[in-house]
Amino acid sequence: MSVWKISFKNLLSKPFYSFLSVFTLALSIVLLLGIQQIKASFEYQMENNLAGIDMVVGAKGSPLQLVLASVLHLDNPTGNISYHDAKKIGKNPLIKDAIPISYGDNYKGFRIVGTTNDFRNLYEADLENGRDVEKAMEVVIGHSVAVTSNLNIGDTFLSSHGLVEANIETHNEEFTVVGILKPIQKVIDRLIICNLESIWDVHNHDSQDHHEEEHHKERNHDDLDEHDTHKNHKKEALDTHEHYEEEITSLLVSFRNPTGYLTLPRVIDKDTNMQAALPKYELDKLYEFLGGGFKMIAWIAYLILIISGLTIFISLYKMVKERAFDLALLRTYGASNLQLIKMVAYEGFAIVFFAFLFGLILLKTVLPYLLSSTKINSKGIMLQPLPIKDIFQKGIIVIVIITISIAIAVYPIMKMKISNILSNEK
Amino acid sequence: MIQTDKLLFQYKKTGYNFSFPDIQLKKQEDLLILGKSGIGKTTLLHLLAGLLVPSGGKVNIDGVDINALSHSKLDAFRGQNIGLVFQKKHAIKSLNVLENLKARLFFSKKKSDDSEIENLLKALDLHTHKHNKINTLSEGQLQRLSIAMGVVHNPKVILADEPTSSLDDENCFNVIKLLQKQANQTKACLVVITHDSRIKGFFQNTMEL
Repeated sequence: MSVWKISFKNLLSKPFYSFLSVFTLALSIVLLLGIQQIKASFEYQMENNLAGIDMVVGAKGSPLQLVLASVLHLDNPTGNISYHDAKKIGKNPLIKDAIPISYGDNYKGFRIVGTTNDFRNLYEADLENGRDVEKAMEVVIGHSVAVTSNLNIGDTFLSSHGLVEANIETHNEEFTVVGILKPIQKVIDRLIICNLESIWDVHNHDSQDHHEEEHHKERNHDDLDEHDTHKNHKKEALDTHEHYEEEITSLLVSFRNPTGYLTLPRVIDKDTNMQAALPKYELDKLYEFLGGGFKMIAWIAYLILIISGLTIFISLYKMVKERAFDLALLRTYGASNLQLIKMVAYEGFAIVFFAFLFGLILLKTVLPYLLSSTKINSKGIMLQPLPIKDIFQKGIIVIVIITISIAIAVYPIMKMKISNILSNEK
Repeated sequence: MIQTDKLLFQYKKTGYNFSFPDIQLKKQEDLLILGKSGIGKTTLLHLLAGLLVPSGGKVNIDGVDINALSHSKLDAFRGQNIGLVFQKKHAIKSLNVLENLKARLFFSKKKSDDSEIENLLKALDLHTHKHNKINTLSEGQLQRLSIAMGVVHNPKVILADEPTSSLDDENCFNVIKLLQKQANQTKACLVVITHDSRIKGFFQNTMEL
């Protein structure tokens, strides 16, 4: 027999209250830690994928869209820009690196990015197998692509037009896998990388009408932009009768020094028909927007935490009050005040313990499942393991609140007048 | 074993003053304290158990002046040497009969000896119910359990507060016999306070308040 055992038996003797206490507390722990985990994963994803890209130059339109498309590879691009013009910008002395990327196709939903071999250096992604792209129609694939689509070195595949898998129209040219990247938990894991020529070739060989129609569809989502790109597009279509003008989707730029931030975006926006977007600025804006949502969920979690603190308090206080005679009796058995307080406190802490256990199990099982079912996962948020620091921090908040509940609940024990209780309740 | 000396007690709220005649009990003696309601019987019992602090006089149990003990030492002393039996049959509801007795011993810091507990349960006809929860016991079983709780730790003094007032004649005498038998076995002093004059003739000493 021990104080622990008595506390435990007390818990078991009121299963409904105990379950309710554990459940509400676990719920608030899941929310608190879950929101923290998603937030941390989101931030990690954002910061890692910036990968030294200071500025993105692309067709005019929404700068956020341009960043989402070119940096996080989530949205559709705003349109195309002339490779010739882009190369001119790249020569600016303030610019350290300028890497062109070009979109248009996908394979099983994975985007095919036409770019240079410098692209993978942006993300510090090393080859796991094979070699870099050397000529047109060769591709290096990210790790997730390799795993999901079962592609190996030497395998070939046909790309489909557009950026989403649903598109049934496929091109005739076959891509050949020459390299597979190591997994690095960045967006490049889900990309297929080829050189710019591959993209141009594929599109150039396609019929002109088909080409125009498709691009029109693709760009249609941005009304402001449409007029502009449409015009460009017509021009391009005319040009390609004689010779195909080389176009890219955007140019990923890193500056030599911070002066670049001050001058280049303004110059590009004013003097060219392109726009410059700063990924860090755009993503901070987006993040601020999302931050409000995170904050609200966190407040709800704290509210539930307080409610569960109250539930535990009521359950313990009720016990102390209703069983005053029992407690007085225990005192006559030789139990000290401290032992009685421990008995009640252990009950509270046992609830915290089980709630944490239950909460962490839920977090490990339910959260990943929820994420995968909402498609967020396939779009870019890879769940990071929750830092021990956060578990610890939230754990302390929970324990403090529950300790306060316990302390208030056991207070009557300290003031208990045994003789009064024993003689009054007779 | 029990000695009191000019015990006085004053209730601060009501201003009631009680003064009690001196008690002198040797080992294994028993005492019946009779008195009407409100005359201070329970107060005297609580003074003897050290649950109340007298405003004057002394309580000496087994050579120890219990009012000179510190709070925690008095708790420990009471737990080890005094067994209280109440009219209201209380035990810890979440524990079964056996667990209650073991908890009792745990708080008194006495070793729990399974065969001793078994013997006690047999003597009180509770051994077939030892794994039952408290709320499944009958009135009579609860009454016997509260006796068991009062004596399981072999106290030097057993103090019983109105143990018989709600019982019919037959059970009333049974309870007194059981208390005396247990006191005998553990060589303890038995003090019973009651207004129930049915049990007058059963004790070596009687005191009227």
